[in-house]
Amino acid sequence: MDQGNLTHPWSTTQRLTIEGCTVSTVNDRLSQLQSLTRRKKSHSASSSTATQMIRKLLLSDYFVLYLTLILFMSAAVFFPTLGTPGNIANQLQNMWPLLAVAIGQTFVLILGGIDLSLGATMGFTSVVGAIVMAQNLDPAFFDKSPLWGTLMRPEGGLLAGSALAVPVGVLVMLIVGTSIGFLNGYAITRFKMAPFMVTLVTSTFFAGFALWLTQSRNISGLPEAFIELGKGDIVSVYLGPKLTPDIARRDILQFITYPFVIAVGLAILAQFLLSKTVFGRQMFSIGTNRVTSDISGLPSQSVIIRVYMFSGFCAAVASILYSARLAIGQPSLGGGNLLLDIIGAAVIGGTSLFGGKGSVRGTFFGVAFFVLLLNILNAMRLDPFVIDAVKGGFILLAALVDVTRTRLMNREQRA
Amino acid sequence: MRRFAIISLVLITALALGLVSTVRAQSDITICFGFQDLETEFWVAGHKAITETLRGQGIEVLEYNANEDPNRQLEQVRECIAQGVDGIIIIPQDGDSAVTIINEAQASDVPIAVFNRPPNDRSRGITVVADNVSATEQAVEFMAQQALVKWAVTGNTVQPLILVGALQDTNAIGRREGFFNVITRYSEKYPGLFAEPIEVATEWDAATALANLEAAITANPNVDFIFTSSDFLFPTIRSVLEPRGKWVPRGDANHVIMGGLDGDATACQLIDQGFVDATGVQDLFLEAELTMDRLLEAIANGETQPNEVLLDPGFALSAANIQFDRSDMWGCVLLDEGFLDQ
Repeated sequence: MDQGNLTHPWSTTQRLTIEGCTVSTVNDRLSQLQSLTRRKKSHSASSSTATQMIRKLLLSDYFVLYLTLILFMSAAVFFPTLGTPGNIANQLQNMWPLLAVAIGQTFVLILGGIDLSLGATMGFTSVVGAIVMAQNLDPAFFDKSPLWGTLMRPEGGLLAGSALAVPVGVLVMLIVGTSIGFLNGYAITRFKMAPFMVTLVTSTFFAGFALWLTQSRNISGLPEAFIELGKGDIVSVYLGPKLTPDIARRDILQFITYPFVIAVGLAILAQFLLSKTVFGRQMFSIGTNRVTSDISGLPSQSVIIRVYMFSGFCAAVASILYSARLAIGQPSLGGGNLLLDIIGAAVIGGTSLFGGKGSVRGTFFGVAFFVLLLNILNAMRLDPFVIDAVKGGFILLAALVDVTRTRLMNREQRA
Repeated sequence: MRRFAIISLVLITALALGLVSTVRAQSDITICFGFQDLETEFWVAGHKAITETLRGQGIEVLEYNANEDPNRQLEQVRECIAQGVDGIIIIPQDGDSAVTIINEAQASDVPIAVFNRPPNDRSRGITVVADNVSATEQAVEFMAQQALVKWAVTGNTVQPLILVGALQDTNAIGRREGFFNVITRYSEKYPGLFAEPIEVATEWDAATALANLEAAITANPNVDFIFTSSDFLFPTIRSVLEPRGKWVPRGDANHVIMGGLDGDATACQLIDQGFVDATGVQDLFLEAELTMDRLLEAIANGETQPNEVLLDPGFALSAANIQFDRSDMWGCVLLDEGFLDQ
C-alpha cells in the first residue's frame, strides 16, 4: 500500500487495524505519527481518569474520612505520639461534646440558615442547670445575684441535696435549650427576620443574661452524679504488662464513656431524623429551595421552628457534657472560638453553607478531622498563635471545596 | 479551582514548614505550658520569662493557647498528659476551672504549677500568686493620702471609682477587697473624705471597661479618684478622661488621683509623667522563677502531686518612691529596655 497517496493515511491505518488487517507502514513518518497519537490518547485517557477520580473523590460521602485517614497516617510517621492509644483515646474524648453541638448546627445549615446562638445557649443552660443542682453557694460571690434568696441560697440551688437534683437539672437544661431554639425559629418564621440577625441577638441576650444572673461567677459545687456525665467511663482499658499492683491513672485509657454514649446516641437519632423521616426530607427540600417548597405545600414554618428547637436541644446536650467535665456552671461557656469550631466542623464535614446538603455522618467525619488537625498542629509545636490562623485556613478551604462540589453536582445534574 | 489550589498550596506549605521546624533536638525534660490570650503586658512578659528561661535550660516547652476557654485548656492539658510530659504550668482562665485541671493532672501523676492566677482551692498543686490584697492596699493607701491632702485643701468630698476585674478570678476579688479595706478605713477615720465608691465591671476586657467607664463618668462627672484592678486599663481610662480635660498630671487642679495594680511598663511611664500616682507591683520575675524552680524540683525528686502555695508579697511603687525602687519593678525594667518602643 502506498501510504504517500493517502490524503488521511492515519485514519485509514487505524481503520485497517480495527478491522483486523495487518498494516505494513512504508515510511517512518507515519510510524512516528501513530506513536505520537497513541501517547496523546493514552495521556488524555489517563488525565481524564485522574480528573474523574478527583471528581469522584470530591463528590464522595466519605471524602473527609479518606482525608482524615490520610492525614492521620502521614502525620503519625512524623509524630509517633499521635498513634499512641493514650492520644487516640484522649482525642476521642475531645470529639463528643463538639459533635453534639455540631449536629444541631448541621441541621440548621441544611435548612439554609445559621445558628449563632449555640454558644450563648450552652452558657445559659449551663448556668440554669447549676442553679437547680448546686449543693452550696457562697454568699460572698452571689449575694448580688437577682436570684439570691429565692432560687439561689447559701445551702445551694433549687433542688440542693435532693435525689431529683440531677435528673431535674438535666431536664431543665434540655427544656431551656430547646425553648431558646423555639424562640429563634419563631422569630425567623413569624417576623421573616434573617437567621443571622435573630440568632446573633439571641446570643447577645442570653450571654448577657447568664452573666447577670451569676454576676459573672462560675457556679461550682455540682453533684458528683452530674460530674460523672462528663467524665465517667463505662469501658476503660489498660494495654501493657502489669508490673506493679497499682496501675497509674494515666495508663488507663477511657474508650467508652458517658459523653461517648450520649453524643453517639444523639448522632444516631439525628441521622434517623434526617434520612428516615418525612421531616428530614422536608428539611432538605426547604434548604434546596424554600419558594418551591412553600408552593408545594410543605409546612416550612413548622419545619424551620422544629429544626431550630433541635439545634437548641443539641446545644443543651453539649452544655451538659462541657459543664459536667469542668464541674462548674459557666456563664461564659461557648464563648471564644467555639462557634467557629462548630461551624467549621460541620462545613468540613460537607454540610453546605447554601443549604440543602449535609449529613450527620459527614459532620462526624468533620469533627474527627477538626480534632485531628488541632492535635497535629499542636504536635508540630507550631506557635500557638499560628494554630488559629491555620485552622481558619482549613475552614476556608472546606468552604471552597463546598463551592466546587456544588458546582460539580449541578453540572452533573444538567448533563 | 485556582483559588482552591492556591489556598491548598499555602496550607500544605505551612504544614511542611511546621514539620521541618519540629526536627529539633529533643531534651530530657518536657514541660507543657498552657496559657490564655496574652492581652496585657503582664502576661506577655510572664510568658516570655517562663518560655525563655526554660528553653535556656535546654528544656522542651510545649505551648498551648486556650483562648480564654477553660474547656479547651482542659483538653490541652489532657493532650499534654497523653504526650507524656514531665510537668505542667498553667495560667488558668479562672479559679474554678483551675481546680478541675489540677485534679486531672494530679490524677495522672503529672506535677502541675499554677502561675499567678490561683485556683479557688489552693490545697492542691503548686500555686504561685501575688498577695493581691496587700499590694492593692499599699497602692490605695498612697492614693488615699493624696486624697486626704486634696480634701484638706478644697474641702470637697472625694468620689472614688474602682474598675473591677472578672470576679471569677481570685486576683480580681483580692484587688477589690484591698481597695475597699483602705477606703473603709479612711472613711471611718475621716468621715466626709470619701463618697460611696462606684464599681465599674470590666470582665478584664478593654472594650467592656471602656463602655462601662464612659457611662459611669458621664453619670458621675465628679469622679476624682480611680483605681484600676489592672494597669492594662490605663489607656482606656485615658481615652475617657482626656476629652473631659481630666487627664492631667499631678499638681493640676483637675488631676484625678489614679492608681492600679500589676506594675507594667505603661504604669511606670505614667508615674514618671505624673498622670498616675501609684501602682501595686507584682514581682513577675520572682513569680516566674518560683514557678519553674519548684516544678523542676518536683520533677527531679519524682514528686507527682506537689502541693504548695508560694507567695509574692508585692509592693507599691508611687510617685514618692519611684526614684529609689524603680529597678525592682518589672515594668520599669522593661520600659528602660525600650519595651514600649517595640
